Amino acid sequence: MKDITFGQYFPAKSFVHSLNASVKILLTIAFIVAVFLVNQYYFLGFALCFLFILITTAFAKIPFTKLLSSVRAVVFIVVFSAVLQVFFNKTGKVVFSWRFIKITDAGVYTAIYITVRILLIVIGASLLTYTTSPVEIADGLEFLLYPLKVIRFPVHEFALIMSIALRFIPTLMNETGRIIKAQKARGADFESGNIFKRAKALIPVLIPLLISAFRRADELADAMDARCYAGSKKRTKYKKATFSFRDAIGFITLGGLIAGVVLLNGFFGVIV
Amino acid sequence: MQIKVNDLSYIYSENSKDLYYKALNNLNLTIEEGDFFGIIGHTGSGKSTFIQHLNGLIGLQKDRGSIVIGDFDLSDKKCDYRALRSKIGMVFQYSEYQLFAETVFEDVAFGVKNFFKGITEKETEELVKNALTMVGFDYTVIKDKSPFELSGGQKRRVAIAGVIVTKPEILILDEPLVGLDPKGKGEFISLLKNMHGKDVKTIIIISHDMNFICENCNRVAVFSKGKIFKEGTPKEVFNNGEELISLGLELPLTAYLENGLKKCGITVESDLSVEDFVSSYTKRYKGDKV
Repeated sequence: MKDITFGQYFPAKSFVHSLNASVKILLTIAFIVAVFLVNQYYFLGFALCFLFILITTAFAKIPFTKLLSSVRAVVFIVVFSAVLQVFFNKTGKVVFSWRFIKITDAGVYTAIYITVRILLIVIGASLLTYTTSPVEIADGLEFLLYPLKVIRFPVHEFALIMSIALRFIPTLMNETGRIIKAQKARGADFESGNIFKRAKALIPVLIPLLISAFRRADELADAMDARCYAGSKKRTKYKKATFSFRDAIGFITLGGLIAGVVLLNGFFGVIV
Repeated sequence: MQIKVNDLSYIYSENSKDLYYKALNNLNLTIEEGDFFGIIGHTGSGKSTFIQHLNGLIGLQKDRGSIVIGDFDLSDKKCDYRALRSKIGMVFQYSEYQLFAETVFEDVAFGVKNFFKGITEKETEELVKNALTMVGFDYTVIKDKSPFELSGGQKRRVAIAGVIVTKPEILILDEPLVGLDPKGKGEFISLLKNMHGKDVKTIIIISHDMNFICENCNRVAVFSKGKIFKEGTPKEVFNNGEELISLGLELPLTAYLENGLKKCGITVESDLSVEDFVSSYTKRYKGDKV
């Protein structure tokens, strides 16, 4: 379980780290839009997106191996969707056939296309979480969702719930490891038997975990009460997010990326 | 069963520059059958990593030493960990948080059903009744209660019953005294003493409570930086207090008293147990008067 690095903050002092969190969220969305804009048959747009990732990573002072480890979490989904495309896409010319299996050129194209798309999006999203701490992301979201206050959406509470949830992931992971060990010491067997047996074997782990999660939630609520926490009313921020010239650079770069992708599509005579 | 540990090393996150951590560093230790063995050491000295090796919860790393427990050779790939775990009971820190079943009976019976496949209901009940009585419960009163309606101290006793129910030969406890009130602590200590030598042959205990360690253990090992800093009887370990204090550890009260008295020119020689200290001090005191 320790291998899940997707979404782990990588502390460093860099240009990308110093960007405003709300801006980074917007930029991530814009990046995803750019990836989706790339036309199916002209992959040059992907090259541009990839170049953008490489440059951003370099500016963020994140080791390139981190990008690979972020991909590891989605390998299954990627392979699964690619295989589906290759074997079940029936459009286009048949390039390979053996008994009932027919592989078409369109199938292969789409498989590559979807794979690259998912990978780029995952890497782009993990660049956000690598360079922005969970608390910053929650704050950034709160800022972005602020307009929803008009329809009485509890924006502050929503952001708080999110940051608490993020904060407790590592804690609960540790706890899970501890409980698994304790039950193993009592002879619990998680590795053998069919799927039902294994699911049943997890009960002695899940119940203590659930109970401890509730206990922690109770304790946290009490601690917040004790410090007179009262939701969004008149709260000031300890860390005020500010906008700077750097954020403008971010917007310009991404604007350039989207324009580049659209231009490349247009260059090959395809209107998006 | 004797526990023999040779040149044991363990490294966490070997391939990561930031997280690399050598928890155990060429550790050698022998624990004899019948020992009441105390392990002390500051946080991060490798105590917990070490004891988790003893029942295979942490596997040996390749070419980093060996552990032999009775007939079990843990460096052997074919080592039967389940059989090993049925012989070595392990009580974790805050063990009360591992309870899960609807009734106390079911929770205590969990280990029995795991280790002794094909055991009859009657035999199971016999074992559970034994274990619950041993930790000081009235079996008929407690067996159908939900473990979650018990107090913290009671929960911990249920958790321990769940470990000793399979009659392990060696019982390992990781800081079992933390968070118990004085009464609960006293009861717990006498429970351990009662079990030792009868139901459980060897007890290995990690604790920061030096008075407890000094009073009850026949051997003590001091862990520091993944090694054994010192090992011996409580007297041998606690006699030169300065070095333990420099490791961030405490001494038992009797050791402080002996040191303090020594500074006043009164030498009291005891094995550092309260009883022996009092008797040799009174002897000395009365001797001076006469």
